[in-house]
Amino acid sequence: MNLAVTRTPAELAYGGELLPHARLEDWKWSNLRILIDRPYPPRLKVEARPADIERLLKSSPFAKIAGARMVFVNGHYDAKHSKLKNGDVAGTIANDEPVLALNAAFATGGAHVRIEGTADTPIELVFIATAAEARTVATRNVVEIAAGASATLIETHLGEGDYLANSVSEIRLGEGARLDRVKVEREAADAIHLAHAHVTLAKSATLRDFTLTSGARVNRQNGTYVFAGDGGDAKVAGVYLLGGKQHADTRLVVDHRMPRCISRELFKCVMDDHARGIFQGKVMVRRDAQKTDGKQSSHALLLSETAEFDAKPELEIFADDVVCGHGATSGDLDRDHLFYLRSRGIPEREAKSLLIAAFVGEAFESIGHDGIRAALIAYAGGWLKQHGGSP
Amino acid sequence: MNDMLDIKNLPVKLADEDRAIINGLSLSVKPGEVHAIMGPNGSGKSTLSYVLAGRAGYEVTQGSVTYKGEDLLAMAPDARAAKGVFLAFQYPVEIPGVATMQFLKVALNAQRKARGEKELSTPDFMRLVKDKAARLNIGQDMLKRAVNVGFSGGEKKRAEILQMAVLEPSLCVLDETDSGLDIDALRIVAVGVNALRAPGRAMIVITHYQRLLDYIVPDKVHVLSQGRIVKSGGKELALELEAKGYAEFAKEAA
Repeated sequence: MNLAVTRTPAELAYGGELLPHARLEDWKWSNLRILIDRPYPPRLKVEARPADIERLLKSSPFAKIAGARMVFVNGHYDAKHSKLKNGDVAGTIANDEPVLALNAAFATGGAHVRIEGTADTPIELVFIATAAEARTVATRNVVEIAAGASATLIETHLGEGDYLANSVSEIRLGEGARLDRVKVEREAADAIHLAHAHVTLAKSATLRDFTLTSGARVNRQNGTYVFAGDGGDAKVAGVYLLGGKQHADTRLVVDHRMPRCISRELFKCVMDDHARGIFQGKVMVRRDAQKTDGKQSSHALLLSETAEFDAKPELEIFADDVVCGHGATSGDLDRDHLFYLRSRGIPEREAKSLLIAAFVGEAFESIGHDGIRAALIAYAGGWLKQHGGSP
Repeated sequence: MNDMLDIKNLPVKLADEDRAIINGLSLSVKPGEVHAIMGPNGSGKSTLSYVLAGRAGYEVTQGSVTYKGEDLLAMAPDARAAKGVFLAFQYPVEIPGVATMQFLKVALNAQRKARGEKELSTPDFMRLVKDKAARLNIGQDMLKRAVNVGFSGGEKKRAEILQMAVLEPSLCVLDETDSGLDIDALRIVAVGVNALRAPGRAMIVITHYQRLLDYIVPDKVHVLSQGRIVKSGGKELALELEAKGYAEFAKEAA
């Protein structure tokens, strides 16, 4: 049963206007007004069938790994399928960016988690959209890792049908806290996925963040990483596995506000068919952030003549005693590598798969949890079986 | 006995420029034989090895290459390998991210699968490689690294011979395996190659210098000049060549 909820004035007013225009520098490669190519989908209350939920849950690469799980179905917390109770942690960030603003207007739920001490098993947040009328499904999570605490947090995004998912995660790491975050975007083929992860690191906090982008026809993920204390350490890695006409755009801002922080960004992007990948990364080093060590790199592997990749690295440095660098590469598979493998009897498709897996492997290495890393590499292996590159 | 490899009147030119590298080369190799091909830089030695292995970028419009009774040039590189053709590269490429052990296992099992043989289990494979690696002085640390990444020149050549030992090909083409090796490394590699000499296996050893042939003693020696074999003989031809130099032979051939 589908029940249309009367849209709030905000949705009516901003439904169109909140959409960023391509004239905005950050959005020049992802014109949502064109990419969404239909009226902005409304918020609808959709009752999901249990069989749909269970089928989608089973398709999570982590179905067998995560001990503690929180499930969100069509934007709402699903107590029946969750093993972890939802908490109450307040968000604090300003909604001063289009994805955040849209999320504020449409969000119907989300995870509120506060971790104290050491969480031994990974916590998985699963976001599911079931097949129904085209609609917006928006969630906002607030996660707090208390001072000295540590946790592994998985975000899995899955779905069926035609929908627009908007997912915001506000994450705060207390002093000396550590978070290993792994996000997997495997939305339905017709879906649109908009996201913003906003992470604040207090003094000496450690973040390991990995995102696999493989689903949805349009994907735009923003990441804001703020070093609010001395000596923070953040590694942000990502892998794109895109085919068909998929479009994925990642926009990261690493904001070094305090001294002696380390940041690393590493993205490995594989595009087949007509897929288009974009990586925009900005490292900002403010005046007080002396001894900053910031590096950023994005590498693209184009498996077809029609695939495309754009990279825009930016450094904005106001401190004078820093080490910062960026690099971006883009190319196809190395013919000499391919010939070498084939000369040893490895058939072309398999040789290509090996080389693609080797290309993305470095990014997967940043995942600390062995089981999660293995599950993702297995998932990537399945993708490679279907996309051995055009012969 | 039938020839294992029969090259008849082969011309080869680069696909993207109108320049012939090999001009009507003929060569036949029988099982169990070791043939040395010697010649100066630019005589077409490496091109011959690449054409046999199936590298793209070369054009063959006439002549024929028959391997075990089949048209070799019609086969894809991986099909050639599965049928027993192996090229030990002069410059083995480094492939970051692909572990040497994984590479060897995928290659061996792909070949076995292509031949309709059962794939080797991981423990059986590990035993096989460990044993062969030890004989070539290749330690576990080298096997754990990515294919050829960070290997010294000598390590790369030893790794090529290890691949050859694991894959057990019928026709081994060694392209300047001696280049960049010091005398100790050369000895290890030569011992490895000699261990693979067998009645059913043929070898084509391409080299610039006679030195390698002190260790890998050939049955026949051919002198390649301007894309053609200008002289063939026994192992003593290598010594003669070393004494006279290539220029003399090129003159005789002209």
